[in-house]
Amino acid sequence: MDTKNSTAAGSTPAVADTKPILEVDGVTLQYKTKEHLITATYRVGFDVYPADRFVLLGPSGCGKSTLLKGIAGYMKPVEGAIRLKGREISDPGPDRVMVFQEFDQLLPWKTVKQNITFALRNGGKSDNAAEADDIAMEYIQKVKLSGFEDTYPHMLSGGMKQRVAIARGMAMEPDVLLMDEPFAALDALTRLQMQKELLQLWEDTHFTVLFVTHSIEEALIVGSRILVLSPHPGQVKAELNAFDLNHENVGTKEFVEVQQRIHDMLFADRILEDEIQTGDKG
Amino acid sequence: MDKIPDVLVRPEFEASDIGKASTADVARKLTLIERISDMHSVRKLSILVIVVIVWEVYSRLSGVSELILPKFSATALALADAVFSEQLLYMVWNSITVLISGYAIGIVIATLLTTAAATTRFGSDILSTLTAMLNPLPAIALLPLALLWFGLGADAIIFTLLHSVIWPVALNAHVGFMSVSETQRMVGRNYGLRGIVYVVKLLIPAAFPQILMGLKIGWSYAWRTLIAAELVFGGSISDTSEGASGGLGWFIFVSQMDLRIAYVFAGLFMVILVGVVVETVVFNKIESLTVRKWGMQAR
Repeated sequence: MDTKNSTAAGSTPAVADTKPILEVDGVTLQYKTKEHLITATYRVGFDVYPADRFVLLGPSGCGKSTLLKGIAGYMKPVEGAIRLKGREISDPGPDRVMVFQEFDQLLPWKTVKQNITFALRNGGKSDNAAEADDIAMEYIQKVKLSGFEDTYPHMLSGGMKQRVAIARGMAMEPDVLLMDEPFAALDALTRLQMQKELLQLWEDTHFTVLFVTHSIEEALIVGSRILVLSPHPGQVKAELNAFDLNHENVGTKEFVEVQQRIHDMLFADRILEDEIQTGDKG
Repeated sequence: MDKIPDVLVRPEFEASDIGKASTADVARKLTLIERISDMHSVRKLSILVIVVIVWEVYSRLSGVSELILPKFSATALALADAVFSEQLLYMVWNSITVLISGYAIGIVIATLLTTAAATTRFGSDILSTLTAMLNPLPAIALLPLALLWFGLGADAIIFTLLHSVIWPVALNAHVGFMSVSETQRMVGRNYGLRGIVYVVKLLIPAAFPQILMGLKIGWSYAWRTLIAAELVFGGSISDTSEGASGGLGWFIFVSQMDLRIAYVFAGLFMVILVGVVVETVVFNKIESLTVRKWGMQAR
């Protein structure tokens, strides 16, 4: 692996005495399409520490979404291991909640509140209906959807649906919140708003989040640490710090410099990219 | 060739105070007439009224024989007479009980088939092959065989009803399960749903629009098949203790034999009425309480 550590974005917090919450260790992931066996990631390794806003960044075809599915437990690595708090991941479970890009991740037959209580009750977070209701209302308020708790998802806008999904994920208080391009299907203004709100929520509780995106700007704004992946198959190109970059310094010299650096990293070997049709599983 | 025009630069402006829009009302209440003429039921009812008037006028003016086309008024009287003195409603009830038992058994078998199809590849092959083979076969065509196997009785009718219920219900449910989105499946598993809980709490509600559609189609097929089957030998499902015997189809058949054509029309009207009531009242109600409320109409 040609992992190149960098301290470009300032001093790194001490990690020596903290244990990583999530360890991804030399993971190779493969999946089958009708005609090909696709290697989505090849020996990818990284550690996520508590309160990280860890971003997987790369162009389509770098296996970042597949990697997230592996961590969520929907796919088994053919090589390497994924460990959450030291235990190897074998199945999907409520200790790693996934927020998807697709709006239909909300169950249409349940109201906003019921979507959250459904998760709490079935995910073993709460045995008590009244308690689950309270937790749900608390998180609905956190994502600024008070008044919409009894609305069905089809009545909500895209941004509101994603807020519900985030509230549902956070209400579960998972060890790590997995977000698979959650804002990619939103319009630009809403996306900006959602990024800000996500950071505000993080300020409140410092939850650990693993965030997948193909937007360099979004990665720098949302992330505190960024794993840059190359495509076909996904391999680690770099791991960078971005905890001092956010909305306020978009367009500043430091921001643009890092942005440019990642851009060069990702597109330097563009010509080498072959034309395999992977069906683009991200 | 025209010259490609340059961008025409105009001054920018920003409205200082847009004030209140002074033209038309922002939301004007519609007049009573506008609202009434927009009502679904009113529009449909007016078509029915026109049909009735045309029917009555034509049968009076053309002098067509009562044996060919009875007047609407005569049909209405016959219907009232059949209901009040010939226990027509009891016959309708006879038909409906047979229908319900066939429908219920059909749904149970369809559920088993769908479960097999959802869990194993072999089951899925069975379902698709059987459906492709048997779906085009009109249920009523099985009646001669059914009579041979089960004799003259409700059993033979129920057998033909099964055929008309099972395939549409099983096929639609199967398609419904297949088309549950990958994201929703992953969400279910993420929150720890497994096995039968996963099916009941996630797959069934997610596939419900399609399942309901299958139930609707199954019901309407079954109703038609039932009436047709009763026309052939409905007299044998008799309950002589009550005096009235047979079902609605049998009533139509007997009335025709007795040349009471107005009663034939009355019977046909009853067939339509039951069909419409179940379709619009029962299924519409279920739809508005479920899929329409959830914004998930069948694709």
